Amino acid sequence: MYSTQSKRDLAIEFQSQIPILRPSIHARRANITVKFQDLYGFTVEGNVDDVNILNEVREKVRQQGRVWWALEASKGANWYLQPQISSISEGIALKSSLKFSAVANAITLKRLIRKGIPPVLRPKVWFSLSGAAKKKSTVPESYYYDLSKAVEGKVTPATKQIDHDLPRTFPGHPWLDTPEGHGALRRVLVGYSFRDSDVGYCQGLNYVAALLLLVMKTEEEAFWMLAVLLENVLVNDCYTNNLSGCHVEQRVFKDLLAQKCPRIAAHLEELEFDVSLVATEWFLCLFSKSLPSETTLRVWDVLFYEGAKVLFHVALAIFKMKEDALLLTHQVGDVINILQATTHHLFDPEELLTVAFDKIGSMTTTTISKQRKKQEPAVMAELDQRLRRLNSLKMEDK
Amino acid sequence: MARTSNKNIQAKLVLLGDMGTGKTSLVLRFVKGQFFDFQESTIGAAFFTQVLSLNEATIKFDIWDTAGQERYHSLAPMYYRGAAAAVVVYDITSMESFVRARKWVQELQRQGNPNLIMFLAANKADLEEKRKVAIEDGEQYAKENGLFFLETSAKTAQNVNELFYEIAKKLVKASPSRPTGMKLHGRQQETRRGLLCCSG
Repeated sequence: MYSTQSKRDLAIEFQSQIPILRPSIHARRANITVKFQDLYGFTVEGNVDDVNILNEVREKVRQQGRVWWALEASKGANWYLQPQISSISEGIALKSSLKFSAVANAITLKRLIRKGIPPVLRPKVWFSLSGAAKKKSTVPESYYYDLSKAVEGKVTPATKQIDHDLPRTFPGHPWLDTPEGHGALRRVLVGYSFRDSDVGYCQGLNYVAALLLLVMKTEEEAFWMLAVLLENVLVNDCYTNNLSGCHVEQRVFKDLLAQKCPRIAAHLEELEFDVSLVATEWFLCLFSKSLPSETTLRVWDVLFYEGAKVLFHVALAIFKMKEDALLLTHQVGDVINILQATTHHLFDPEELLTVAFDKIGSMTTTTISKQRKKQEPAVMAELDQRLRRLNSLKMEDK
Repeated sequence: MARTSNKNIQAKLVLLGDMGTGKTSLVLRFVKGQFFDFQESTIGAAFFTQVLSLNEATIKFDIWDTAGQERYHSLAPMYYRGAAAAVVVYDITSMESFVRARKWVQELQRQGNPNLIMFLAANKADLEEKRKVAIEDGEQYAKENGLFFLETSAKTAQNVNELFYEIAKKLVKASPSRPTGMKLHGRQQETRRGLLCCSG
C-alpha cells in the first residue's frame, strides 16, 4: 500500500510535459471561455488571454529552469541546501566567520526563489529549505510507515470527517479524485490527525495536503511538509479547535491593510466590509482554493523559505492590485466579486509576486510577531466570552 | 404581468448547519440550478447573490454560505451579523446534524436580531431509506421555536426554490412600505460613521 510512488509520477508527468496550449481558432475568434488542464492537472476555465498568459508563464518556467541548472553547474548540485543559507534567511545574526560566498548564495537564493522554483526541483528544494528534512531526520526512518500502520482501521471523529471530505477535495482532478488519490490523501491526513490530536482534522487541510501530494514525490514527504507547515512555518493554533491562530492572523491582516493600503481599508470600513470575510479562506487554505495552481505554488515556494509573513504580502497584493476598482464599489457583493474574479484569473504569478514584495514593501518577521502578540489577548478574550455564552445556552437547555 | 410596485429589497441571508448537510448544494441549486454529488467543502464561507422577483417587490439576496465543521463555529458571528434571514440546515439521515441545527437555532435566537426570519431546512429528503430524523420531529421543533420548516432536496430540487420564495415573501411582509432601494441588512443605520467622503 505504500508503493504509491508510481501513481505519484502522474504529477511529475504534468510538470515535465508542459505543453504549449493551443486554443482552437473558434475560441480565438469568438473570445469564448475555454477549458484546459493546467500544469498540475486542474481543469481551468479562462478566455484566450488567460491561455496566452499561461503559455508565457510556462516559457518563463523553462527559462527559470535553465538559470537553476546553470547555477548548479557553477556552484555544485546542492549549493542551495547549505545549512547556513536558510539560517540567514531566518534573520539570525550573521556571524563574522560566515564566508562571503554563503552570504552571496543566500541573497541569490532568496531572489531566485521569489522568481520561482522549477517544478521538477520543487520537491527537493521544498523538503530541504522548509525544514521538513530536518524534522524527519529526528525520528526513526520508519516513523511514517509505523504511524500509518498503527492508525489503520481506527475510527475517530477526525477520520470520519476526513472520509467525508476525500471526494470533496478538488473533485474531478485526474489523480486526486481516484481511489489511489483518496487513499494517499487519507493516509496523510489521518496520520497527521494522530500525530497532533489538538489539530486532529481541520477542514482546509484537505486542500493543502492534496496540493502537497501533487508536488512532492511521495506521500511520506507530503506528510512531513504538512508537519513542518503546521508546526514551524505557520503561527500556532491556526487549525486547532477554535482557530484562535487564524483569528489572530486576521486581526493582524486588518491592521496591515490599514497601514499599507489606507485608502482601501477606509473605503471597505465605510462599506462595513470585514476583510476576514474573504481572507479567512485564503489563510486557511494557503490560497489553494482561490489562486490557479501554479500561482499558488509560487506563493508556497516563498512561503516555505521566508515564512508565514508571505501570506500577508500576497493577501495585501491582491487588494492592492485592484485598488482603483475596489474604491469604486458601493456594495459588499461587488467587493467580493472583484476579489474572486481577480484571484481566479491570476495566471501570472510574476504580476502578483512583484506587487507582493516590491509594492507592498518590506515587513519583518519581528514586527509581525509583535503585532500578533498585541492581538492575542483580544482574540482570547473574545473566544472566551463566546464560549461562556454558548455554555450558558447549554445550561438553559437542561 | 404588471408589477404593482417596484420596491427593491436587498437582504442578507446566512446558511448555517453541520458539515456535509448540503448548505452549498442548496445555494447552488437555487442560484445556478446545479447539483454535484460531491461538492467541494466550504472553508470560511462562500458568497452568492441571486435576485427573486415577486409581484410586490424584487428581492436581491446576498447569501453567505458558511463552513460546517464545528471549529469554524467561532467565525460564524461575522457571517450572521446583520442578516435579515437565516436558514439552518440539517441532514435527515443524521441525528447528529439535527442536534447541531438546534444549537444553531438557540445561538441565533440569542445573538441575532429579534426580527430575524429563520427557516429550518431538513435536507437530503431524497434519501428516505436512510432517514434518521422523522419529519414530525423537525416540524415540531420548528413550531415550538417559531421557525418555518421545509423538507428539501438539493439533489432533486424538491422545495429548494420554494424555500427561497418563502423567505422572500416573509421579507416583503416584514419590510415597511417604503420606496425603492431599501436595505434589509439588520445593522442599524445610525451606527454607521458619519463620514461624507470616502476618503479615497
